[in-house]
Amino acid sequence: MTDALVNIENLSRVFDVSKPWLNRVLEREEKKHLIAVNDVSFNIRKGETFALVGESGSGKSTIAKLIVGLIKPSGGQITFDGTNVATQGSASMRQLRSRFQMIFQDPFASLNPRWRVKEIIAEPVRTFGLEGNNMNWENRVDQLLEIVGMSSRDGAKFPHEFSGGQRQRIAIARALSAQPEFIVCDEPTSALDVSVQAQILNLMRDLQDEFGLTYLFISHDLSVVRHMASRIGVLYLGRLVEVAEGKTLFKDPKHPYTKMLLDAVPDLEMTGRQRQPVEGEIPNPIDPPSGCTFHPRCALANTRCKSENPSLTLHGTTETACFAVEDGRTSV
Amino acid sequence: MSDVLLSVQDLVVEFPTRKGILTAVDRISFDISRGEVLGVVGESGAGKSMTGSAIIGLIEPPGHIAGGSISLAGERIDNLPRDAMRKVRGKRIGMVFQDPLTSLNPLYTIAEQLIETIRTHMKLSESAARARAIELLDEVGIPAASRRIDDYPHQFSGGMRQRVVIALALCAEPELIIADEPTTALDVSVQSQIIDVLKRLCSEHRTAVMLITHDMGVIAEAADRVAVLYAGRVAEIGPVKDVIKDAKHPYTKGLMGSIPTLMQDSDRLTQIPGSMPRLTDIPPGCAFSPRCPKAFARCFIEQPGCKVHDGRDVACMLYDEGTAL
Repeated sequence: MTDALVNIENLSRVFDVSKPWLNRVLEREEKKHLIAVNDVSFNIRKGETFALVGESGSGKSTIAKLIVGLIKPSGGQITFDGTNVATQGSASMRQLRSRFQMIFQDPFASLNPRWRVKEIIAEPVRTFGLEGNNMNWENRVDQLLEIVGMSSRDGAKFPHEFSGGQRQRIAIARALSAQPEFIVCDEPTSALDVSVQAQILNLMRDLQDEFGLTYLFISHDLSVVRHMASRIGVLYLGRLVEVAEGKTLFKDPKHPYTKMLLDAVPDLEMTGRQRQPVEGEIPNPIDPPSGCTFHPRCALANTRCKSENPSLTLHGTTETACFAVEDGRTSV
Repeated sequence: MSDVLLSVQDLVVEFPTRKGILTAVDRISFDISRGEVLGVVGESGAGKSMTGSAIIGLIEPPGHIAGGSISLAGERIDNLPRDAMRKVRGKRIGMVFQDPLTSLNPLYTIAEQLIETIRTHMKLSESAARARAIELLDEVGIPAASRRIDDYPHQFSGGMRQRVVIALALCAEPELIIADEPTTALDVSVQSQIIDVLKRLCSEHRTAVMLITHDMGVIAEAADRVAVLYAGRVAEIGPVKDVIKDAKHPYTKGLMGSIPTLMQDSDRLTQIPGSMPRLTDIPPGCAFSPRCPKAFARCFIEQPGCKVHDGRDVACMLYDEGTAL
């Protein structure tokens, strides 16, 4: 697609989780690898919110870190606005890097407790040399604080003087200060109470409209994702199992895992719907099942699912990696 | 209700500090009947966990119960001496905490921990206790319980560990289980399994459950009645369906509106301006008044008491008699 801002192709990341060399020799063990991200491809279009959902250990945060370059991929490509991120030299990477920012989950850990708020917010401005003349950055900080709904007086305070929601606002102001086009949000509201979460989600939407931002939104909370995302990718054990438009995914989920996940969300509407009891748990990623990694928990699994690994194919507007969907099976 | 098991009346928990006395729990009253799940929701600092700790007598000093009463099946338990309270705790009231890894001792097998707890509360031989332990693990849905009982906690996944913790809480067949954020550390698919276990146990054994959580969805799934706490006070108590579908208290209304749902499309979530006051500066009058869209003069001066309105208790001046809307 031409209007893709970020393009991820066959991205993989393997972590070496082996015991130390001597133990391996003594205990005659092989090296162990954890495939955190396995052959993931998707693209994020300009101005949209692409969400990644999945349970713990599905590789959501690893993908976020790969995209912003906090860890290096083991394979595959990340292209940002036409340039390959991995092959950039440090100078051009630095330039590119100023165009995307990240917001982290825990606003208590992501702000330096010894810095004043204005210093925290101004850091990207100064690092990337965007301040123009030096007199200006304080004005810029005041402006940013107002944009995220705080007062310019708050700039002189320290992070500990603020509540979780306000800290997350500061983290957002910091992310905005470099005037990025793309922001990776890794569980931005899961440390917050619901009423504060609503404030932050509304703020993020307003900012998107105002500055034309593109978001990669990572969350385990399906209702939050539904509220925020225009397109959604569902991850299971490091693989994308389904990519769909936000509304389609919730109305017409294709992959059995997506169906199970949606079914498990507590029902606030109290419709008293009959729920399919959830079977089993996410397997150990060090020793994943053969074939489709979901087959031990899947009601539709047949022998092919146990040996072969499905890849993403298009069904309507939804991309799904499932043999049962491909064959149109609804029973074994 | 006729079959009231736990009755909390005007409970006050205070913490003396250098800056004065902090009231973490401010005149909270509620009942739980046998076989009932009472959900307790609120945001961080609303006093949910503190209420739970007060009931089992585990408030960390210098905090203490400064007023009110807690009765279990008609007997006061808030003023029991420590030894007597130890017999109530674990035997008559079971507990399930948020993080299953810290509730289990990593150095002992599940069998050792279960058997120790069972034999503390019941006169059973080692082998009878072991048989009971396996039975309990079966009951909470751990597959191959007789084999897995000799595993250590780290060999279990998060959801399985939480099942073990529930089994531990059930050891002495308690009349009341206090579950403090039992599913918060778990994934949604595992969360729904744990909720199912709690609900099933509650109906099979007529155990009363006090389910403390910040997640309204969990309450909607699991609870019969719900108490909404705000700044250490009860805002609203009523049947889950009524409170969720038709909240009366402005705080509950705001809270419900701020939760994104799977069913509805909305462009903006309702937001409650500001955040919950810190315990050091709770406003006079109604604690919610500075954030309340409907607050009027009286709200800033007088503290509303819980009044029965439309089948539930609401602490709001709007529903006070004699107040024109």
